[in-house]
Amino acid sequence: MIEPNIRTGTPVVRVTNLAKAYGSNVVLRDVSLTVPEGSVTAMIGPSGAGKSTVLRCMNLLEQPDSGEIEIDGHRINAGRKPNPKNLAALRRSAGMVFQHFNLFPHMTVLRNISLPQERVLGRSRDEANEKSMELLKRMGLAEKADQYPSRCSGGQQQRIAIARALALGPRVMLFDEPTSALDPEVGVEVLEVMKELASTGMTMVVVTHEMAFAGNVADELVVMADGGIIEKGEPGQILQDPQHDRTRRFLRAVLER
Amino acid sequence: MNNLVDVAIQYGPTLFDGLKVSLSLTLLSLAFGLPLGLVFAFGVTAHNRTFRYLSVFFVEVGRGAPALVLLQLMYYGLPNADITLSSMASACLALTWTTAAYSAELIRGGIQSVPPGEVEGSHALGMSYRDCLRFVVIPQGLRIALPSLMGFAVLLFQATSLAYSVAVPELMSQAYSIGSSTFQYLPVFIIAGLLYAAISIPATWLSVYAERMLSRHL
Repeated sequence: MIEPNIRTGTPVVRVTNLAKAYGSNVVLRDVSLTVPEGSVTAMIGPSGAGKSTVLRCMNLLEQPDSGEIEIDGHRINAGRKPNPKNLAALRRSAGMVFQHFNLFPHMTVLRNISLPQERVLGRSRDEANEKSMELLKRMGLAEKADQYPSRCSGGQQQRIAIARALALGPRVMLFDEPTSALDPEVGVEVLEVMKELASTGMTMVVVTHEMAFAGNVADELVVMADGGIIEKGEPGQILQDPQHDRTRRFLRAVLER
Repeated sequence: MNNLVDVAIQYGPTLFDGLKVSLSLTLLSLAFGLPLGLVFAFGVTAHNRTFRYLSVFFVEVGRGAPALVLLQLMYYGLPNADITLSSMASACLALTWTTAAYSAELIRGGIQSVPPGEVEGSHALGMSYRDCLRFVVIPQGLRIALPSLMGFAVLLFQATSLAYSVAVPELMSQAYSIGSSTFQYLPVFIIAGLLYAAISIPATWLSVYAERMLSRHL
């Protein structure tokens, strides 16, 4: 049997010529990126490089000035105002996990995960709860179902947020510095869940400062600086032998601290 | 002291009827004013210009003009424009306006303190703007605004005493008419004041309790 080559899998995410500026402050210049099905792409780079902005443009939380975004066949052109139906479909295909979790604090953990399923997918409450419990068990958090998020640790809240996104059956998961707000020790439990997710073949884009995760789990590493992609390729190779001087400086700063 | 007890026994039922009118005026004004306040809370920041200007007009006038002026305007002023309302209806209209204006600002404050990250979270999940308001923003915004809304309700209850000026037979006007026919002003106003306090003070306790209940998840 031939191992399927993930590098040539059908692209789930395609970002073309993305650009964005706030007045004269250019945050993204001509960013193009393709994420094949079943692959994990890690985006690294100094803060202010535009990594999070690229990720947030992918599901239009941030409106790019120009360029095109396509997720799972739903295409949105930045110049025009997106059609709400198409935008909803695109967002449904992409699950997003934020640095600060963004759970709904007035709902129990179970409601947090079930409500979007009911509203977005039209599932019945029973169906939604069943799916939620299945995911909570997978995250090792079944006993937290009836608690409020504030009663959970940061790592638990982030795993709940992952479960909430997964419950909608996304084609790709977008992670925006998922461990940056967590203690290193707690971050590990989130990284474990992400590794498990990657091993099941979930397509993932991860903006991160966790170099070990980027090196060991990612299939593709994207290095950004000053609003553009300066280097991308096989993670091992980039981490061992960066081609760009800016990459070298960045890696020295994060690896030798 | 005996005098006080005598007046209480003799005129208690009349004053009590007045209290019931005060309470129903309060509840009616809240029932109409709060939903309107929620609408104006969104109106004052709406993109739609007509909606925004209308909301700003009602909120600013409602907060800017004293309740007494609004009451007189509705009762004595509107007949000049061929709109004649009963005293109760005009008082209700005026206090509804006041309630809507004040509660709009309180609710807007509550809504604006809902963290934007939660709104982003619901957008990223593909939830519609309406669902985001309905399930995330409004419940939390109202919860944050609730203690101050309850405080406002107590003030409104006390402000219903102004309706005596437009001949609504509420507690203040009953007390006044008993006083003017018997000259027992002192005892009758003491009793009226105690009746207002008997509602206002427990209502204040209730708002403290509600605040505690609603922040259980924090």
